[in-house]
Amino acid sequence: MRNRAAVILSLAAVVPLAAQSYKAPRTADGKPDLQGIWQVMNTAAVNLEDHIAVLDMPAGRSVIVDPPDGKIPYTPAAAAKQKENFKNRAQADLLNQCYIPGVPRVMYLPFPMQIVQTPKYVLIASEFAHTVRSIYMDGSKHPNDVDFWIGDSRGHWDGETLVVDVANLNPGTWFDRSGNFHSDALHIVERITRTDPDLLTYEATLEDAKVFTRPWTIRMLLYRHREPNFKLLEYECNAYLEDAAKESR
Amino acid sequence: MKSSNTFNLLLASVAAAALMCFAPIPGPGQDKEQVKQKGGKGKGGPPGGEQYGPYYAAPVTAGEPVGRTPDGQPDMQGFWTPRFNQAIFEVQDHPTAQPGIGPGKGAIVDPADGRIPYKPEAAAKAKELLSKQIYLEPEAHCYVSGVPHAAYQQFGYQIVQPAGYVLFLTEYAHTYRAVPTDGRPHVSPNIHLFRGDSVGKWDGGTLVIDTTNQNGKTWFDMAGNFTTQAIHVVERITPVDTNNINYEAVVDDSTIYTQPWKIAGQLGRHPDRNMELMEFACVEGNQDLIHYTEGVGGKAKEKK
Repeated sequence: MRNRAAVILSLAAVVPLAAQSYKAPRTADGKPDLQGIWQVMNTAAVNLEDHIAVLDMPAGRSVIVDPPDGKIPYTPAAAAKQKENFKNRAQADLLNQCYIPGVPRVMYLPFPMQIVQTPKYVLIASEFAHTVRSIYMDGSKHPNDVDFWIGDSRGHWDGETLVVDVANLNPGTWFDRSGNFHSDALHIVERITRTDPDLLTYEATLEDAKVFTRPWTIRMLLYRHREPNFKLLEYECNAYLEDAAKESR
Repeated sequence: MKSSNTFNLLLASVAAAALMCFAPIPGPGQDKEQVKQKGGKGKGGPPGGEQYGPYYAAPVTAGEPVGRTPDGQPDMQGFWTPRFNQAIFEVQDHPTAQPGIGPGKGAIVDPADGRIPYKPEAAAKAKELLSKQIYLEPEAHCYVSGVPHAAYQQFGYQIVQPAGYVLFLTEYAHTYRAVPTDGRPHVSPNIHLFRGDSVGKWDGGTLVIDTTNQNGKTWFDMAGNFTTQAIHVVERITPVDTNNINYEAVVDDSTIYTQPWKIAGQLGRHPDRNMELMEFACVEGNQDLIHYTEGVGGKAKEKK
């Protein structure tokens, strides 16, 4: 128990809960302004859980704040599947074939992403493969009978926080390069709060009864790019993949 | 599920098929009559009154006066379908049929003959690409389109105008184009991008976008009309009313053209105001490359 308490304390130190004292600037329609170009400074894209380094995959601490042990609460069968995934990751990770990364993975890839807002939409554009998330803010519901690699996102404001409900996710995407995965039953609730002029606190609760024994939550910080005239360039993954294949022949 | 979603999804799958066989085919809900439909006489009519297509184009209807966004930009937000004749197949007039590309009009209004003013060696290269190397067609490889190709992209796009930006979200390949309007300079000339670097400014009621830094790996169309890194494009986008936008672009590249040339077309607002973009997951479902061998960037094994 002493160890467990230590883990909880250390996680709290890594990413504090949304500091309620800070109030974000407002957009023209009076909503918290999250606009800017943001990027994580962590290794969640390598592995959401605590991990030591292997070749080309730096070490990092778990971004999972619930359960308190920082581990994904897999069913036994799913835990075995994740181990298989890790072994086969070079071929089995569809990101290596330049597929759309899915949610939440697109949020913590090592690429900048731009958030823009209008009264009807919050858009999140990633530099990775020109991928864009449209978050509908008009009270509309998820569509039926269709899934998307990037899922379907419908949002609303809860005070300072943008709350996004994500469903209709294609089961082919992973959470990270270590084979952490989900099924077509994945449902995500994200909470995005500007907790400082240059910080967003990003939190996502994931539930998927086919793969996990209980819902679990990740939390991390997104840092604002302050370089003058910073802008997204591009990472046209599939073009580089073709170039690399040609070079290797 | 909204009917427009179903419709759009079907359109996306038809698009994949169209890319696969390079053949112009009408989308669902778009019969031959519509493809042949003549331009309207009102201010929404396409230049020259020529046929639309081959993809869905919104019917020409007059709209209301253009409104303003909260930060004072002329408001163009919404879903738009391009009317550029058959430029998506070939940007210049192409009276003679080519394999997979029927005869038709392009979108070039200057020079008056509707043809790209190539220097001789560049004309030869374009002809070679069309006749012998059509497997290099960038969209068959799911590359994002360059500029101005992105402006007459099949399936159209959504325009969003947050403060300080104009964004174009294209259904094709699920991509975006973000144009800052804050007066910033271009990125360094050392950087080359599929989509180039675009900076915009409002000139009265016209959005003027200057695009440089393209990488020379995109085509204007499916017909071998290639680009180089020296291309410089100035687009002028003018909302006429809430349903119609006039578009023109001047293309300059002294390395391959004898003079700058100009395309013109129009955008019509999609009649479904509850329209939502679908996900055209190009890489994830691409079947084009199974027709091409590995040696030319495809997936089929080389014949021994």
